[in-house]
Amino acid sequence: MKKIFKNEKETLAFAEKFAKKLRGGEVIALIGELGAGKTVFTKGLAKGLKIKERVQSPTFLLMKIYNVKKQKIKFLCHVDAYRLRGAAGLMDIGLLDWLGRADTVTVIEWADKVTELFRGGRVIKIKMELGKKEEERKVTINK
Amino acid sequence: MRILGIETSCDETSAAVAESDGRSFEVRSNVVSSQIKIHAKYGGVVPEVAARKHVEAILPVVEKALGPGGAEKIDAVAVASGPGLITSLLVGNEVAKILSWFWKKPLARINHIEAHIYANWFLNKKINFPALCLVVSGGHTELILMRGHGKHEVIGETRDDAAGECFDKTAKILGLGYPGGPAIAAVAARFKIEDLRFKIELPRPMIDTKDFDFSFSGLKTAVLYAARDLSNKYKMEEIVPAMAYEVQEAIVDVLIYKTIKAAKKYNVKTVMLAGGVSANERLRERFSGVMEKELPGVDWNVPPFEYCTDNAAMVAAAGYFHAIKKDFTPWQKLKVDPNWEL
Repeated sequence: MKKIFKNEKETLAFAEKFAKKLRGGEVIALIGELGAGKTVFTKGLAKGLKIKERVQSPTFLLMKIYNVKKQKIKFLCHVDAYRLRGAAGLMDIGLLDWLGRADTVTVIEWADKVTELFRGGRVIKIKMELGKKEEERKVTINK
Repeated sequence: MRILGIETSCDETSAAVAESDGRSFEVRSNVVSSQIKIHAKYGGVVPEVAARKHVEAILPVVEKALGPGGAEKIDAVAVASGPGLITSLLVGNEVAKILSWFWKKPLARINHIEAHIYANWFLNKKINFPALCLVVSGGHTELILMRGHGKHEVIGETRDDAAGECFDKTAKILGLGYPGGPAIAAVAARFKIEDLRFKIELPRPMIDTKDFDFSFSGLKTAVLYAARDLSNKYKMEEIVPAMAYEVQEAIVDVLIYKTIKAAKKYNVKTVMLAGGVSANERLRERFSGVMEKELPGVDWNVPPFEYCTDNAAMVAAAGYFHAIKKDFTPWQKLKVDPNWEL
């Protein structure tokens, strides 16, 4: 699926709707350069999951867990691999405790840096790119 | 009273011993197993996560901080229990538990952001309340109103990226090294505004909003687009120093403006900085100037450089103020909270 968002608001609205289709256990790989909109997309997902806390960038923190109250989904695990070179770092911080859990949706920004995690897994790959105009973004989704 | 502080919230493994007689602090040791030093060996490559390093580093770091025979002189242990990365926090907290149990000494559970604020107490100046502290680092950007010890209120924070993160990411966009803050500051310091042949206008995000929140992700994309556009007409060697200068000014502008606004609204007696970005010379210099002009009757404090980035001495200082009120946590009940909000 390919989509073009004219601005941040459209990205947020789409991500919010996308979140409503999640059932738990999904791993969402967000791929894109600085400024492509990965964290914005995650904020939209969080809104769709009715998370009340503010979603900030986890670049320094690496991983943040949010509580969710939506049917079977209990947690959103928000990961940022920007500061890492490979998956080993994510293993160290306990990501495997959350990855693929039936009650958790995991979102990994800069997932292309940690591709070893996704061999043979059920991953939703979302690629984000800057569009032609300044506020525009191109999004490609592969399930 | 002599406190052993332990800090393992994110990247740094640190232990420190600080002592206070009720009038002033003396830092007897402050050991920081700095990730940056380790990875600079590899040409400034982005550092790997510290979790395994915390486990390897914590005991040597604590031993070094205590020094020979130091354990007997400790009156209490203080540990940062959040916010931060759970696996990192657990390392420091487990060691703190063991020491508290083994030494039969009380344990103070400290919030990492609160600890940053206490770095200002190493100036050994009297600090009058209410005080306003801007805690600004790679992972945090918050404005804290402090009405007294243990009486904190977060009155503003970033909606997306932290200021330090903005420095790092814009430095990356401009091809500068890591860590980004010092890299940008160094390049910006050499820039002369008279040399500028083109105009760069970067936004000051949220500078006019009525709240005391911040937003830096828009500044990051503005730098991305500006660099992209300018590189069509000019060479990177010309663009980078000018952009570095302007990014630093934009970040500093927003931080100062909103803090001063908050200081006026809450009629504070002291304004303080804390966190890694408070080591930025330009921020300190300009802030000091604005304070003199706009709030001449208000005290202005910045911590000594070595206590700005994550360190355990500040945790020990915070621990002292908990200890004198006997605000302790039994080691059996010590829990980390990666999302702990002050």
